[in-house]
Amino acid sequence: MNYGPLIFLATFFALSGSWCGFVLTPQLQIGRLQQTNTLGTASTTYPVARPGLAGQGLQVYRANGCACCHSQQVGQTGTILEISLTDAGTNQSSTIAALLDLLKGTDDHPTAFVPLPPLEPAGSNAAAAALQSKLPKALLRTSDPAAAKAAVKTLNATSAKAEFWVVPVGPDLSRGWGKRRTVAEDYLFDFPVMPGSQRVGPDLANVGLRLPDTKWHLLHLYAPQLVVKGSTMPPYPFLFEKRKIERRPSPEALVLTGHLAPPAGYEVVPTPGAVALAAYLTSLRADAPLFVAPLTVASAPTAATTNSQASSLAASTNAVPAQTPAK
Amino acid sequence: MSPEPIPSAVPSAESPEPKARPVAVPVWLIVLLFLLLYGGMVYFDRCSGWFADQVYTPYQSVQELEAMQPASGPPSLAQLGLLVYNKPTCVACHQANGKGLPGQFPPLVQSHWILEPEPGRIIRIVLDGLSGPLEVEGQNFNGAMVPWRDVLTDEEIAAVLTYVRQNAEWGNNAPSVKPERVKDVREKTKQHKQSWTPDELLKVSPAD
Repeated sequence: MNYGPLIFLATFFALSGSWCGFVLTPQLQIGRLQQTNTLGTASTTYPVARPGLAGQGLQVYRANGCACCHSQQVGQTGTILEISLTDAGTNQSSTIAALLDLLKGTDDHPTAFVPLPPLEPAGSNAAAAALQSKLPKALLRTSDPAAAKAAVKTLNATSAKAEFWVVPVGPDLSRGWGKRRTVAEDYLFDFPVMPGSQRVGPDLANVGLRLPDTKWHLLHLYAPQLVVKGSTMPPYPFLFEKRKIERRPSPEALVLTGHLAPPAGYEVVPTPGAVALAAYLTSLRADAPLFVAPLTVASAPTAATTNSQASSLAASTNAVPAQTPAK
Repeated sequence: MSPEPIPSAVPSAESPEPKARPVAVPVWLIVLLFLLLYGGMVYFDRCSGWFADQVYTPYQSVQELEAMQPASGPPSLAQLGLLVYNKPTCVACHQANGKGLPGQFPPLVQSHWILEPEPGRIIRIVLDGLSGPLEVEGQNFNGAMVPWRDVLTDEEIAAVLTYVRQNAEWGNNAPSVKPERVKDVREKTKQHKQSWTPDELLKVSPAD
């Protein structure tokens, strides 16, 4: 008996079925993603294409296999809503009463609220102290949006001004690896996308946010253990050039001391590849509030992190072993 | 008619060949399968987000996402103005920092044209453009600005002017521009077909 047509049909349906599932459906769902307008970010459109140098850095990142040890995807296990007071108002006694009522629980939301530090030992004294502290300040925490909205309404009725802050939570976020989960939009301008799967080193989805200093990155690429104690990252000296100082030292030369210092009359300068890679790393940030990943952005711009803070931050984030199994 | 038993050369004491015969599926297995199916359906309904492209874990539906959006109220005129500014409209010439380009495009930062308390003239400039020799804070320009009458709505012009006039980063601090005011000026200058010239503008009262 001739089974040819049957085998052909079976193969055809198996392959076309998986093609529909793996290629067509995702393409229909997120193939037409576009930049969105977001208020509260520096550039207002998100994401923006990486500048030229950073775009080249992506190829260096790819060529050196950085994605083998570093992921670029942040997870999130939940979202909490913090009810914060922005203005204590004029009728403080009624605000205090409302706060204590909320803590006791309302009819609709019996035990929805957990007090935050300024309100922690729940009592009228603590509530009064919370009102006196520096505002805006988050006072209550809940995970129920309906309860949060009701609480904001209750507090606003007492001449105070309240709002709720959306705070994503999860192990990745508590390590300081980001402010919200990463979503497809974050990778819109990356080709190829480098999400990675292993976490031998820390996640890099927001490394430009926590380590904005290009010089730090160059030093770290040349000698990781110099800036992060106990780092398991291999050095990348081939991205740098040790050369004789002609006339005057290059302003780009690395500042090295101890056994790493080049012999007198020599200097270590980054190659264009290293400069591009550092530019790429500092361009990595996925923290804009999006509809698909809501987040409350602090209204005041955060002060630029200084070098010493940055390196201590790096040490702390690096010191956490990659204990989250990549699922 | 039963098949003949195959005669065996060596007689054996083994039991006869086992035979397959239909056996009923146990009832508990059917019940278990239905329970598993039901559990799967409930889980699917609760956690799939119905495969919506906007729903990522830990969110489970678009409704939940909508409820989770930060309630900051409607954006202010100045916030909307930033979006209009970068549409790209103004940003193409006056640059993101509002400083323009020396000799080509005049700055918006600390410009007395922008910071006039009454916005009559600046609304006219945005509506119908401006051309001719222009002096802004000691620099001379002689270019042409395109009209935005048919491109931007009253609200957009009011928003972008408010953003430019109240931009704290640029040190600008002038009263906001209301959409009604733009509408008013748009009606009054309907007959004005060409770009304004600075001399012509200076004859117009800013409050008009």
